[in-house]
Amino acid sequence: MYAKLRIHRFVEGRKWKQDYTVEVKTGMTILEALIAIKEQQDPTLSFTSSCRSSICGACAVRVNGNAVLACETLVSDQLATYDTNVLTIEPLGNFEVIRDLVVNWDPKFDRMKKIDPAVEPKDEFSPEEGCRQSPEDFEKYKKYALCILCGSCVSECNKNSLNQKDFLDPFAFVKGEKIVSDSRDKSPKEHLRRIVDAGLWACFNCEECTAKCPKGLDPAGAIEKLKAETFKYGLADNVGAKHAKAIYDDIQESGTLDESKLNIKSEGFLKAGTRAPMGIRLMATGKLDPMASHPVNPEIATIKKIVQIAEQASKEG
Amino acid sequence: MSKEITRRQFIIGAAAAGVVLGTGGMFVWKGHNIPAPVRRGDVTYDVLIIGSGGAGMRAALAAMAKDKNLKVGVMTKLPPTRSASTMAQGGMNGVTGVGTNVKDTPDLHAYDTIKGGAWLNDQDAVEFFAEQAGKTICEMDYMGYPYNRDKEGYFHQRKMGGSSQPRAAYYMDRAGHAMVHTLFEQCLKQNVDFISECQMLEICMGGEDKKQLNGVIALDMRTGNILGIPAKSVLIATGGYGRAYWIRTSNPYSSTGDGIVAGMNIGIPFKDPEMVQFHPTGLAVNGVLLSESSRSEGAQLKNKDGERFMEKYDPQRMELSTRDIVAQSIAKEMEEGRGVGEGISAGVYLDFTVIKPERVHAVLQQVFDLSLHFAGVDITKEPVLIAPTCHYSMGGLEMADFHTGETRVPGVYTAGECSCVSVHGANRLGANSLSEVLVFGKVAGEGAADYAKGHDYKGSQEDLKAACKKWSDTFEEVTHREHVGNRTVPEIRNDMVNTMWYKCGVFRTESQLQEAAQELAKLTEEYKHVYVGDSSHVYNTAFEQYFELGNLLQVSHAIVQGAIARKESRGGHFRRDFPKRDDQNFLKHTLIFKQPDGQYKAEYKDVVITKFPPNAPKPQAK
Repeated sequence: MYAKLRIHRFVEGRKWKQDYTVEVKTGMTILEALIAIKEQQDPTLSFTSSCRSSICGACAVRVNGNAVLACETLVSDQLATYDTNVLTIEPLGNFEVIRDLVVNWDPKFDRMKKIDPAVEPKDEFSPEEGCRQSPEDFEKYKKYALCILCGSCVSECNKNSLNQKDFLDPFAFVKGEKIVSDSRDKSPKEHLRRIVDAGLWACFNCEECTAKCPKGLDPAGAIEKLKAETFKYGLADNVGAKHAKAIYDDIQESGTLDESKLNIKSEGFLKAGTRAPMGIRLMATGKLDPMASHPVNPEIATIKKIVQIAEQASKEG
Repeated sequence: MSKEITRRQFIIGAAAAGVVLGTGGMFVWKGHNIPAPVRRGDVTYDVLIIGSGGAGMRAALAAMAKDKNLKVGVMTKLPPTRSASTMAQGGMNGVTGVGTNVKDTPDLHAYDTIKGGAWLNDQDAVEFFAEQAGKTICEMDYMGYPYNRDKEGYFHQRKMGGSSQPRAAYYMDRAGHAMVHTLFEQCLKQNVDFISECQMLEICMGGEDKKQLNGVIALDMRTGNILGIPAKSVLIATGGYGRAYWIRTSNPYSSTGDGIVAGMNIGIPFKDPEMVQFHPTGLAVNGVLLSESSRSEGAQLKNKDGERFMEKYDPQRMELSTRDIVAQSIAKEMEEGRGVGEGISAGVYLDFTVIKPERVHAVLQQVFDLSLHFAGVDITKEPVLIAPTCHYSMGGLEMADFHTGETRVPGVYTAGECSCVSVHGANRLGANSLSEVLVFGKVAGEGAADYAKGHDYKGSQEDLKAACKKWSDTFEEVTHREHVGNRTVPEIRNDMVNTMWYKCGVFRTESQLQEAAQELAKLTEEYKHVYVGDSSHVYNTAFEQYFELGNLLQVSHAIVQGAIARKESRGGHFRRDFPKRDDQNFLKHTLIFKQPDGQYKAEYKDVVITKFPPNAPKPQAK
């Protein structure tokens, strides 16, 4: 069987798409297909790889618009998934491209420094004797230590596509949650404060990161956990947290959102005042009526019960 | 804030972003990641570390802890965290004396290491290592290593092959990955200066007798600039040389012995190069390792006739025999025509169908995944083809003093798999490699820092500039060669693998080794005109692979020379014509020197023996 790989090339400012035909052998991965092309057809094709057993994170690329680790993704599986014999291979999204499929990691690592991404052990511990931690406490962050920094999570991150400046890469939040939930750390609040400042609440909740993570780490879930922890650590004095709280209160009280007050509750009276032009436009089109009484959902009793059960469940972890 | 953006606005924004990205050409890579003063060679590093695996990053942290005013840099050919260290699975050995490890002693750790290494270890270094290894486990805990815990909150330590006590602390089956990322977190915190994606080309020496360290010449992959970076001390931590066996190795593509060759070129001997560890169960299709636990869980080895051939070689232990015996048995079956398939991807069957599928999914999930991904085989339904795979390089650059990590060239230090301390001797024990990179990474980092503090920079900028010019010319000449009449990098590499695998692999004999030497010499000739096929200055991986192949050919040559000279069988080195260990004549290290004319010369150095003469009894546990 033969497959066509349509590869997005980019060399010294020149950009084009190039088609290569490869013979698909049993167990042939995207990485092996790229290597076969480089060895037999075109030595100028550039990409990075190292361990070829999905642990070093060097070979993530986009196949038909979705980030995967090239070394663990079978060409035949992708052909079947998309019911095609042409696969489009691109560099990861939301990265600067250096050449072909090679992207620039340095700015990503620099951004990670914003959250001070290392455990600061409690005073009772020492480098000579190490730390103590219960197996239960270890379980709390165990999963997040599996991140391989492959960049798949950020490739299709919608928030990063729109604006990278007031947000981090999803893997940085995974790192953040790892540290905040590590019982050895003496300053989870300080770490969390940095994470909030770095844009925690700007997440769009689109969950592309969770869908793409090859290790199943659920970065979106880590972001949600961090958000919940801001309430626990008294760091909820910001627009994002207040917005979440306002929605929660509305649902709890009436079962519906009171859009006319939501903005004021989230941003405060003064800042919300600057939104007046939008408010007027909404009123003009009949989308917002400040005079109307806020309707209560007839099923409010059921809604309250749902909220109650959800709270109970989250307490029990 | 997200709530203010409607879906429509978002789509418009995304479309605009798409147009910007789509126009292309607007963005031309300028390669400004490396600061201009470094690019110009105006910054003199006190300690310049080459390699960002466990040893390199540990060394950087140690050097910076020694004196925060030192200028410490870590150069790496990939972004940091892509190293071979990430692939280690089992754990890190060390006597902590707590939790599951209470009965252990450093003497026992030393003894196990020496016995496993078939007495080719330097015992003073092993004793030092065994004393330090437990401490390093505690240090890593303090740095945030995610250890699996016992119920008292201590590290859960488990028993690995060849260890008499449960001694390996770990994180799941990802011990090396966790080590690399813990160190990387610390490096980000300490603001370690990474010089990423630079391929070290040469350690530049000057002065009349070429004994004065000038610095390092490197290719900045992102711009194609050749950099000459002045350094007071250089620490080589570039990892192993398993790629000499190209697809028949579990090592990453990057394990090409770059630092070893750079070290040999300035007069550091390559110690015990012939000592290569072969793991019995690599996937036949690509050499990727199937964990040791496959056999301990009961998977059976069968030849093409379905015969459980271990009955012939080790009827008592069968598949649970030691790595070297199982690897040799598999190789023998294949050699005698009872393997499956042809060529470099031939193998024998490893049959998991005798194990309950639920058990496979519970404890061998990674093995299941790898077999399914790479060989297309569901191991709960049918056997998978495996063959021995080169796993670890015991040999490496001679470390002259294990208390400082220095080599015999002043100012040049080494640590990690590219070095030979000798802690591992002729065969490395499972879970000793991570401890080794941490213990000696720290030692060498501190050693290099001390050296830098005690010495002024006496190197020559002119020498560095001249070397840059030379490499720049080489780059242009090499990358503009014609294809017609010349072989390609992959062609020569494939021939090299065939030579190394069949003539200097699991089994070795004088005549085959001599043939291997001749074939390598021929390939080295062909290499001089090899076709590279890419002349771009931006991220030229074709040139990088050309350079790496040159290193692999030299490393291979040294492996063969070492194997010819060692007329005995010990650990990872098995000579058919000398099948016995010969302590009378070969309780010695091989030292391969590269002479100014390019020829290799073998010398010997006695093994250091302190507490445990050959076949000494095992010390008591506590």
